[in-house]
Amino acid sequence: MATPLRFTSWAKALQAIALVVAVTLSMGTSNDSGRVYDLSHRLMCTCGCAQMLGECNQMGCAESARAKAELTAAIASGKTDRQILDTFAAKYGATVLAAPTTKGFDLVAWIAPVAVFAAALMGTILLVRRWSVGRTQLPAEPANPEIDALREQIRRETEAGIEGGF
Amino acid sequence: MTEMQGIIAGAMLTLALGIYIFWPENAPASQSEKSRLDYLLERKEQLYENLRDLTFEYRAGKYPEEDFVAQRSLLENETALLIKEIERVERTRPGRIALRAR
Amino acid sequence: MAAFGSFALLLALALAAYNLFAGTAALRLLASGRPARISADRLADTARRAGIASFVAVTAAAVALAWSALTNDFTITYIAEHSNRALPAPYKFAALWSGQEGSLLLWAWLLGGYGFILRLTHETEVKLYAYAGTILAAVEVFFLAVVNFAAPPFSLLKGAIPDDGNGLNPLLQYPEMVIHPPLLYLGYVGFTIPFAFALGALMMRYPGETWIKVTRRWTLVSWLFLTLGIVVGMHWAYGVLGWGGYWGWDPVENASLMPWLTGTAFLHSVVMQERKGMMKSWNIWLIFATFMLSILGTLLTRGGLVSSVHAFAQSSLGTWFMVFLAIVLAVCVLTYIFKRNHLKSEQRIESLVSRESSFLFNNLVLLTACFVILWGTLFPILSEFVEGSKITVGAPFFDRVAVPIGIFLLFLTGVGPLLPWRAASLQAIRRNFLLPALAVWATVIGGITAGVQPWQDGAFDIGRLYALVAFALAAGVLTAILSEFLRGARVIVRQTSCNLFAAIYLLIRRNTRRYGGYCVHIGVVVAMIGLAGAAFNRSMESELALHDRMGIGPYTLENAGGSQDTNTNYNSESVLLDVYRGGKRVFQVAPERRTYLASDQPQTMAAIHSGPGGDLYVIYEGTDSDTGHPIIKALLNPLVGWIWTGLVFIVFGTLVALTPGLRPIAATVRMPAVRTAPAEAALKGGD
Repeated sequence: MATPLRFTSWAKALQAIALVVAVTLSMGTSNDSGRVYDLSHRLMCTCGCAQMLGECNQMGCAESARAKAELTAAIASGKTDRQILDTFAAKYGATVLAAPTTKGFDLVAWIAPVAVFAAALMGTILLVRRWSVGRTQLPAEPANPEIDALREQIRRETEAGIEGGF
Repeated sequence: MTEMQGIIAGAMLTLALGIYIFWPENAPASQSEKSRLDYLLERKEQLYENLRDLTFEYRAGKYPEEDFVAQRSLLENETALLIKEIERVERTRPGRIALRAR
Repeated sequence: MAAFGSFALLLALALAAYNLFAGTAALRLLASGRPARISADRLADTARRAGIASFVAVTAAAVALAWSALTNDFTITYIAEHSNRALPAPYKFAALWSGQEGSLLLWAWLLGGYGFILRLTHETEVKLYAYAGTILAAVEVFFLAVVNFAAPPFSLLKGAIPDDGNGLNPLLQYPEMVIHPPLLYLGYVGFTIPFAFALGALMMRYPGETWIKVTRRWTLVSWLFLTLGIVVGMHWAYGVLGWGGYWGWDPVENASLMPWLTGTAFLHSVVMQERKGMMKSWNIWLIFATFMLSILGTLLTRGGLVSSVHAFAQSSLGTWFMVFLAIVLAVCVLTYIFKRNHLKSEQRIESLVSRESSFLFNNLVLLTACFVILWGTLFPILSEFVEGSKITVGAPFFDRVAVPIGIFLLFLTGVGPLLPWRAASLQAIRRNFLLPALAVWATVIGGITAGVQPWQDGAFDIGRLYALVAFALAAGVLTAILSEFLRGARVIVRQTSCNLFAAIYLLIRRNTRRYGGYCVHIGVVVAMIGLAGAAFNRSMESELALHDRMGIGPYTLENAGGSQDTNTNYNSESVLLDVYRGGKRVFQVAPERRTYLASDQPQTMAAIHSGPGGDLYVIYEGTDSDTGHPIIKALLNPLVGWIWTGLVFIVFGTLVALTPGLRPIAATVRMPAVRTAPAEAALKGGD
């Protein structure tokens, strides 16, 4: 019987995936051309439309036009992304940021999904491994003519015509 | 529709539904328990299904020979034991007598 | 009409309550086995009929409300607030579910409708249906109590009756909006049925797994409606909200996705229970969770707990739903505790690498996704509680967290079906995974050479990396699914010597659920390609004076003038834009702005032109306050059409899975004639 693929190769594959995810999560866009676009998609519109600043197109939304102008001015004045976001948060309150920051309690928002996923993954793997310890081997009980006859019948009924049906 | 008409229409609806609900029915469907035998037969059907599926997947080339033989053997054994039990139940209780399964 | 409607609702509540109490009494009577003055079967039957009658009464109420809307009966507050005389008739009808009270009535009506079918088909399994019907009646009692006492749709307007109503929210005056809410509700409400069956089966200690077979169609139908509701909603958002996207991770969108995820998990893991008697507790809890998440969604939408573009007016309804949810949870937990010894697994998983464990991982990923969405949706509340200040958890959060999960799910979609049951040997894995793995790498190489690099203008672009991974996995999954079809078909070809297409047809007929499921997978993969394509969307905004031009992708847009129109419902103003490609004028688009008269609300109507190269999406954003020139925003969304195409596959696949498969006949009655019989007859010879 061929060796079943065991835990190690899976663990390696999962490690690789986890690494890719971790690396990609920690990166962000950094090209200058799309900074207005980028930042306006990290800020919420304050008009109450519950949309992102870059996407609010409520008619006559004075808020979004003003905030966009403010954003463009801030970028022109050479502020960093971080400074701009901080300025907005200070001015309009923390709800203006479209995603939680990575400071203080906000960090929990980011950690929990990863932690839950990791825990659930480990749990599932452990569970399957614990279950599979008692892997049933080929039935090695003494030959029982009654059972064998039944098995023969079952095979006939379920194999049902290799030649005719399938 | 005035309020009065609305109430009259409502009363008529109530009456009609009341008659429908309490209309004497001589043979309401009775809630028989599922017998142990029914349950075993269902299980047998499922195991047969699994065996057929296994055979089909083997023929489709998804199992190497030895995997297939081992798996089939396990399933066949399980089914054989089940059939023995079915035969035993049928012998001891001819006819389907209501009996709590498990 | 209002009096009749109110009366019918009250009657419906009374009848549902009778169903609940008489049904419970009958079941207790039967369980105790004590002789009684009336026959328990008889009592149970009147309860069942009361359930049917309750549906008739709710129908009467729904008809009354629709009639009031169509006849402009502004004495009823709800009609005055959600309709007006000039509103086209289909939208008047849609007013039924455009407000709080009406949509709850619709909910109660659909619930009654599902119950109606359930109670009519009770002879399938009388006792199980009696339990399910009674549990369903309990849910009906709650919703009917809500429409009777907390959000009555027929309450009369105080003071002078207005000549005309306030009209329907312009956002909702769009064809999809007429079908989106009913579809979504059909999905949400539908999950009540498998919930009722699961709880009933547990309460009565139902022997065996047949209750799953009984509920399979219900679950699939509900799942299909929920999927349709979600995607139609996306299409509506795409066409109406005018930002070129379709999913904003709004709390209400999230609320519809959560039961979809647990429902999808249930559909998968239930196969394990049916085939092998495994994961019984897990499945029970999955369906409990699915039902409770539908209720939670309603609570989020109507309770004013979270801010959302969809939210209804804040009201006391939140409390109602909160209490109901707590009761449901308590009932589920208690029933589980007392009856859990009934749920022992018959078999165990034998290997980490097997179809069984792939189902576990599938469930793990779907549930993690569900958790992440729930977490993100509720985090603002949590943060307010802990920190005292509200924060926003918006699209950037969900994009970052959910996209990797989605990609992992895509990976599992490909892996699962290739793994054999029980345990896979290395040899089997090599054999089954070779082609899909080749497809993955071919796509990666092909993608990079074709310009789908994970970097752009020298900078790393995460969206493009995800897109590349998603495309490669999609290719792998599609290869895996197609090879499954071909492998199966080849067996049939060998044995019936029919042609390949006939063989594929027979293969699907033989096991509609599996191959229908594969079609659904194809649809999901196609839709995922569309979602991943968002990384290549481009947008451009420009002020265009007459005959000014702007370019986006291969297109050049030229302002060719404007036009104005007015009708009884709204005034509209549009910009005509000639679209050139390669110097030739190819078509014209006319993005529009409307001002609805009844509500005095403005609305953009995007102009969308779908072509083989993707969608050109043009919005008339307004006019520049200084120059008076129109501001035009144009987006080029290359792959968005794939999402809607994916839906077609999903619907087709689900319908296939819903059709009964060919039953194998017992081999012992097989005749030699099979060899000469047509392929289809031969097919019945085995499975």
